[in-house]
Amino acid sequence: MRRSTRTRRAPGYWPRALFFYLYLLFLYGPILIIAVLSFQGPLASMTFPMQGLSLHWFSEVVDPGGFSRQDFRMPFVRSLILAIIVMILTMGLSFLAGLAFRKSFKGNIVIFYIVVASLIAPSALISLGIGLGFNELGLQSQWYTGALGAHLSWTLPFGVLIMLAIFSRLDPSLEEAARDQGATEWQTLRNVIVPITLPGLIGVALFGFTLSYDEYPRTSTIVGEFNTLPVEVMNTINIAATPVIYAIGTMTTLFSLVVIFASFLAVYIIQKRRTGAGLGIARKAAEADSS
Amino acid sequence: MRKTSSDKSKTGVSRRSVLKGTAAVAGVAAATQLSGGFPTVWSQDIKDLTLRSTGGPWSHFQLLENMANEDLDFTVQLTPVGLDEIQKRGLTQTGSSDLFEPAYLQMKFFWPTGKFQPWDTTKLPEWDTVVDLYKAPGKIWPDAWFGQGQNPSTVSYTSGPDGTDFVEPGSTQWLTAHPVLHNADTLGIRPDLIGRPIDSWAELINPEFAGKAALVSFPTIGLMDAATAFEAAGELTYGDKGNMTQDEIDYSVDRLIQLKNDGHWRALWSAFNESVQLMVNGEVVIQSMWSPAVTAVRAQGVPCVYQDLKEGYRSWTTGHVMPSHLEGKMIGAAYDYVTWYHTGRVGAMFAKQGYYVVTPDNTRKVLPEAEWDFWYEGKPATVDIYDPFGNLMEKPGTIRDGGSYKNRMGRVAIWNSTMDENKYLTRRWAEFIAA
Amino acid sequence: MVRVITSVLRYRAALQISPLSLALLFFLVGPVIMIMIMSFYEFTGFMTVPDATLENYVELFTSSLTGINYLQTLKMVGITWVVTLVLGFTLAYFLVFDLIELRTKLLLFLLCVVPFWTSSVIRMVAWVPFLGKEGIINKFVLWTGISSEPLQFLLFSEFAVFLSYIQIFTLFMMAPLFNVMARINRDLIEAARDNGASGIQILWHVIIPLCKPGIAIGTIFVVSLVASDFAAVSLLGGQRVGTVSISMIIQMNMAQYPPSSATGVILLLVVLLIVGGIMRVVDVRKQL
Repeated sequence: MRRSTRTRRAPGYWPRALFFYLYLLFLYGPILIIAVLSFQGPLASMTFPMQGLSLHWFSEVVDPGGFSRQDFRMPFVRSLILAIIVMILTMGLSFLAGLAFRKSFKGNIVIFYIVVASLIAPSALISLGIGLGFNELGLQSQWYTGALGAHLSWTLPFGVLIMLAIFSRLDPSLEEAARDQGATEWQTLRNVIVPITLPGLIGVALFGFTLSYDEYPRTSTIVGEFNTLPVEVMNTINIAATPVIYAIGTMTTLFSLVVIFASFLAVYIIQKRRTGAGLGIARKAAEADSS
Repeated sequence: MRKTSSDKSKTGVSRRSVLKGTAAVAGVAAATQLSGGFPTVWSQDIKDLTLRSTGGPWSHFQLLENMANEDLDFTVQLTPVGLDEIQKRGLTQTGSSDLFEPAYLQMKFFWPTGKFQPWDTTKLPEWDTVVDLYKAPGKIWPDAWFGQGQNPSTVSYTSGPDGTDFVEPGSTQWLTAHPVLHNADTLGIRPDLIGRPIDSWAELINPEFAGKAALVSFPTIGLMDAATAFEAAGELTYGDKGNMTQDEIDYSVDRLIQLKNDGHWRALWSAFNESVQLMVNGEVVIQSMWSPAVTAVRAQGVPCVYQDLKEGYRSWTTGHVMPSHLEGKMIGAAYDYVTWYHTGRVGAMFAKQGYYVVTPDNTRKVLPEAEWDFWYEGKPATVDIYDPFGNLMEKPGTIRDGGSYKNRMGRVAIWNSTMDENKYLTRRWAEFIAA
Repeated sequence: MVRVITSVLRYRAALQISPLSLALLFFLVGPVIMIMIMSFYEFTGFMTVPDATLENYVELFTSSLTGINYLQTLKMVGITWVVTLVLGFTLAYFLVFDLIELRTKLLLFLLCVVPFWTSSVIRMVAWVPFLGKEGIINKFVLWTGISSEPLQFLLFSEFAVFLSYIQIFTLFMMAPLFNVMARINRDLIEAARDNGASGIQILWHVIIPLCKPGIAIGTIFVVSLVASDFAAVSLLGGQRVGTVSISMIIQMNMAQYPPSSATGVILLLVVLLIVGGIMRVVDVRKQL
């Protein structure tokens, strides 16, 4: 495979490659600056020149002690838990919706437009609206109730639209073939549909996690008495002008790199195993389906 | 909004809900008999209580929470959020907290909703030690300025236990909010980049600083700063800069737009961090600033002065408001908390950050004399000055700019306010942003 | 018999769609209804009073500010859309057609996603050391003598906001384009080439038409993201750029929930209409 890559470069390959890597640089530039600046000493500003070199700001985040202004640890845990729940729900609900949208059921257009509206609705108002709704029901919104819902209203449209794209690519003859071979509905779903759409599902999961983990405007008013990480980061901006938020940014990026590459490895292994099992059709489909 | 005010927390921690139900009777007794000091008779009962307070990250942090939990018999839990969020949560998610600490300029939004209950001054043993700013006639000292705009005393009292109005200061025993902190803002300048003395708000609009001046993005505060500058420059004499007429708003906004078109404003900032960054990065050499923000700029090795000006200061204050959903022992806990807050230890801690808790006499009892002289008397530091988080703030010999407590709080020209023409002002401000 | 099976199938679709419908009913439709009700409440200047009034809408439609805000928003949306489209298309094209190995494609795609896990607020703040008066770019500009004065338009300007939008939102255009491009049958391209079509002709007559659904979805993403943003406008625009969202947030921060809700409801309708228009041109669902 590698050989064929070398032999046939399409015209315009190099300009496009250069363009792509410049974009990556553009994307990572601020992140790199954040990373570099977060290693400053205790008396530091948020810009160059660097003032000293230490892990001071990381220790502020990891172990602030009793004398600190902020404790990011619990908000981080909350945001992580919330993002994982949102990720799983987004994956599940989007997958089911994807299945449903393959048939034109009654009201599919209405639901589709509601999905789109969910994307468009001004975030601060959704937050206000959910809060008012909870009030009407005599409930108090918390990060694991109202805010969870607010996150879903944000991640689901992305998940559903991506699943729509993936399912539309799924050849119905695959299922028919499976059914002809005597597979039950459940077996077809488990052994044919899920494996083929898995890379796409992982894409949905990534979107779900990412969008939830960083959500502020839909969350801030309705998290209840316990803040999530983005709310706490916003607080930092209201009281401090130190590299402490850079340290959070750097740690988040490192953490995400680890998770992303773990999931990449997972996909890779799954595909490898699938190839090994000799499921040729699935492999071909996965090849075409590279999200 | 009124319709949704019945948001009694039903989903709160179950322990609390149970407690609420069973202990209501005993709780009422506790609240009505509470005579101050720290709880004694009821301490067993209130041990399991958690009092939640929501306020700015400048006053709701781990250190204070730890101090409270060391000293008090119940659990105190602080939730920090930005000023805009305090208001949003306080007005629309009142059940999310047992106390809110808004700024007084937000009191006209908070109080009339009827979602909050007043404090009874007769049950606040430390009330006598609170400075006179919050009592009639609204002056911190007899020779202090009353100031334009919303003097805190004018929104401090309500007519009765169910009042939703504001009445003459001192005419009742019912407080809308229990005052917590105050301080004065003024122009922060970069002396190294300006190179000449600055002594008037008029300098904020001096063409010399075109492209190097900034404004607070909070509509009323930004407009009041600008108006103070216009008046100091002799352009217009306002009736009350803290409560402008439509014509005065029009004049001010039109001038702001004109200045914007001339490229005068480098930026409008909304967060502490932004105001510090603007100064540190040399984007801006003159803008109105909080005193701790000026300190933060200097902490990064950049010269910055919190400039005393002849027209005086613009001042703000915050207070604890108590939601109506509190009942019985929770009310008792709230009273205990604010009482504890003003016994001195907290005041000393905040003094080291450059804020003033409203009971300075009690603060003085706890704060070492050298530090009192530095923070309150405006004298040169004789020892290393540390902030409460253990960071070195000032070396011996430095003088706190802005001068003594008396010089700041005694010379407040204008209070952060919500104006009667709030709606008109907001729209015109949005036009300024869009211009 | 056939009828029974189809009704079961229909029932199954209903079951499959119901979790999504319920979630959106509770957390989108419900809240939007609350906001709509709120938008008809009266705001006295300090307080929200639940008395029905059209005042908020009347003011919205008669204020000259509304037009200015919408023009500004449209401008932000338009420019961001064009740039992210060109960028996203080129990047997706590179990933899909220029790279052969699936692993490399996935890896590079994931690399594009990673920065999104760092709080957007932190990422925006990080532009300041780049773009400021004493930032890296201006140091370079002064050093090379391109200009003797630091360039001020770099920060606290529309430019800075666009830069941040393009940085953040290109992914949202690229991802759906990546999806549809990956689906294009290579045989089609080969056939066109065999018939003597030039590279540009293939791009214009084969690839772009097949990418339409991806473009449509990406457009929906970008339009709605830009229209509802206020963080970038506020942090990098120095609050000098007045969009509809900014006006809405200003009202909200001044406790003016009814007028703010009215502004939001109309913004939602306007963007929905734009998306509806896009859907008329490209039926995203059919073509996917």
